[in-house]
Amino acid sequence: MLFFSYFKDLVGREVTVELKNDLAIRGTLHSVDQYLNIKLENTKVVDQDKYPHMLSVRNCFIRGSVVRYVQLPPDGVDVELLHDATRREARGG
Amino acid sequence: MVLGLRKFTERSGDGAGEPVLDTANEEELMHVQSGVAIVLGARAPDSPGTLYISNKQVVWLSDVDKERGYAVDFLAISLHAVSRDPEAYPSPCIYAQIETGADEDVESADSDAECNETLDVSQITEMRLVPSDPSHLESLFDIFCECAELNPEPNEEREEEHNWIFSADLLSDDATMNEAEEGDLQWQLAENLGNPIGYSNGNHELAHSVLELRISDQRFDDADEMEHEVQDRHQ
Repeated sequence: MLFFSYFKDLVGREVTVELKNDLAIRGTLHSVDQYLNIKLENTKVVDQDKYPHMLSVRNCFIRGSVVRYVQLPPDGVDVELLHDATRREARGG
Repeated sequence: MVLGLRKFTERSGDGAGEPVLDTANEEELMHVQSGVAIVLGARAPDSPGTLYISNKQVVWLSDVDKERGYAVDFLAISLHAVSRDPEAYPSPCIYAQIETGADEDVESADSDAECNETLDVSQITEMRLVPSDPSHLESLFDIFCECAELNPEPNEEREEEHNWIFSADLLSDDATMNEAEEGDLQWQLAENLGNPIGYSNGNHELAHSVLELRISDQRFDDADEMEHEVQDRHQ
């Protein structure tokens, strides 16, 4: 749930979502839900040679269960805040 | 869980009507869109047809060949998108990637799709739905999103339920019981927990329970040991 709230704060930012089938899609984070399903806008496939069909799609819904990594904008990570939040969760809220 | 695309021929009426849905399992029709062509992998488009979207699956039925139809569960749709780039495909369409359950063979399956007409549709990894009127694309996309959210991963939920039962907070409430009884209680909880996390609870409740799942590694270790002890006692 921490990650759900965390990703919600990143809405509007540019992220790269790497899928378990190795497809990596970059786009603007439009929304995220409790299952970590991710909606991106103005997407681009990172490795276009390998996936020419996906070249550019306006909006894209990615099933949470197929996501391997989400690459965040470096300045989108408030290390201190995240650190505190994880510690709070470790104590059970 | 059925992964991949499959052929679908069960139509109501004289075989001319809507697809027969699994209403006994609370499947209901969410949307019907006529005038939609389907493109499987790199094959030629199949049209005209009608798209039926239920809360469980997407069904496409040919308007001309009553024997022809395809279905795919939302659980198997990895991603879907609105594609308007003429370089990617000449007509604006809904693009979907399908999980086939044979990940290692995805590439070879793709090449099969290009050259072999008699291929197994269950190996298809890409599907395009091309409405004759592109103005329907946005609403179709939204319906796909809505239905995808109705179909979270069943396996993950079971796993989370399982962890939750053994969370330390629950155990400490029963500190007065002797150990054997405590063990039994845990197993009863395991069987009675009908509602997957995140379904019945409000957001706050959900946050709390999931929060309990993501506790520190140490406590997960404890829970694991506890589980083994319980199992040992039952043997």
